[in-house]
Amino acid sequence: MVSPPEPRRAVVIEDDPDIRGLLVRVLVKQGFDVTEAGAGLSGVEEVRRRKPDLVTLDLNLPDIDGLEVCKQLRQFSDAFIVMLTARADELDKLTGLDNGADEYISKPFSPRELQSRINALFRRRPSAAADSAARSDLERATEVQQSLLPKEDIRVEGYDVAGMFRPSRSVGGDFYDWYQTPDGLHLTFADAMGKGMGAALIAATVRAVMRSTGHRQDLDGAFASASKAIATDLDSSNSFVTLFHARLHAASGTVSFVDAGHGLALHVRSGGAAERLPSAGPPVGAWAGTEWPQSNLELAPGDSLVVVSDGVLDVFESVEDFTDAVRSATQSQESAQAASSAILALAPAETAEDDVTVVVVRRLPEEAAG
Amino acid sequence: MEFSYEVKDSYAEVKADGRLNMVSAPKLREFVTDVIAGASNRIVVNLENTAFMDSSGLGALIGCLKAARQAGGDLRIAAVQPQVKMVLQLTSMDKVLTAYGSAEEAFSDD
Repeated sequence: MVSPPEPRRAVVIEDDPDIRGLLVRVLVKQGFDVTEAGAGLSGVEEVRRRKPDLVTLDLNLPDIDGLEVCKQLRQFSDAFIVMLTARADELDKLTGLDNGADEYISKPFSPRELQSRINALFRRRPSAAADSAARSDLERATEVQQSLLPKEDIRVEGYDVAGMFRPSRSVGGDFYDWYQTPDGLHLTFADAMGKGMGAALIAATVRAVMRSTGHRQDLDGAFASASKAIATDLDSSNSFVTLFHARLHAASGTVSFVDAGHGLALHVRSGGAAERLPSAGPPVGAWAGTEWPQSNLELAPGDSLVVVSDGVLDVFESVEDFTDAVRSATQSQESAQAASSAILALAPAETAEDDVTVVVVRRLPEEAAG
Repeated sequence: MEFSYEVKDSYAEVKADGRLNMVSAPKLREFVTDVIAGASNRIVVNLENTAFMDSSGLGALIGCLKAARQAGGDLRIAAVQPQVKMVLQLTSMDKVLTAYGSAEEAFSDD
């Protein structure tokens, strides 16, 4: 299940409150979600926090000048930057320099002119060669990533299983996969290092390899040979992948699992505590010669196995806070689907930098299971 | 993110100040590789002012460690801040990348 992407965001950096207000109004009218800053340094922070698609930047700011702000922004942001200046004579000089801005507008400006220049920027993006390559890379990466998610719901008697995935705008390497087996189900949850097409392709490889070893009875052996195949592929790309793989024996509630560097799977007991399952070793591909011993846990009726991506962790101060929030979100909901939504909501779309993924496997309480 | 280094008696200390993420990770890798090639194969990465590290940042540290070992030396990390420590623990990479309290301590035992 995939949530819709967020609206376009803009940050207005301008010290004059009247002009700032005007800019905000113009941009809101154009459908942007707008925030503002009255100085250079606070503007840089705001852009870091909001990750906007567009920044309007006044050249003369009270603390640091607009060109310096632009330089700093370019170190981490690929937003369109529209620079505004009150001095028309500066305009020629500015446009001749490669200082990182995409467009220059002199003050006073007409709102209509600003609107049309901004529209032109967003139209132009696909035609600029480099941007176009990056954009289509991102689009293809998104397609690859979406194709990795299980297409069908899974029905295991006595269990309620759900998963949710919300992509970030930069496409990370998260995915989950599950399939039914005669005994119960197999679950794979992985996060490939980095973002974009590279991460998405690694994720696709991992999914295929893990599926291909599903028929092997012994989990240790299956995981060892799968990780070896994946590590060989990863070696050339200097990358790694965190990988949690579990097999559920439905009748007994026994879950056998291997955790390679993920560390964010929880055993949430019915009405009780949550135990985080520590990883058994580094991520696959990170360090040669690693072995990952399997572990087991028993899901009692009403218990849940919850696996979450680090996109959720990022919004918490500590792992303990994270564990507690996930436990409470899981226990407060009736279904695995509702619990997944509640956990996803812990990382609001506007602050999450990364993909956010969650899978909940809940063993139904005995009366409900009948 | 800003990088600098200083050659000490038996090692080179690299400082990486800022956020170690997808943007800065390749730069750290390049910077440390240059230090290994030009100054010392014993590297301490001082993370005192690295408040945040993502998976790409972790990948860069692992890459630098491999490069230092290949050059016959080693790479150690020092003054690790809470978020970075959390990433190292979750991924079990704390078993591979040994963390020391300070840059001075990192190579003091050998």
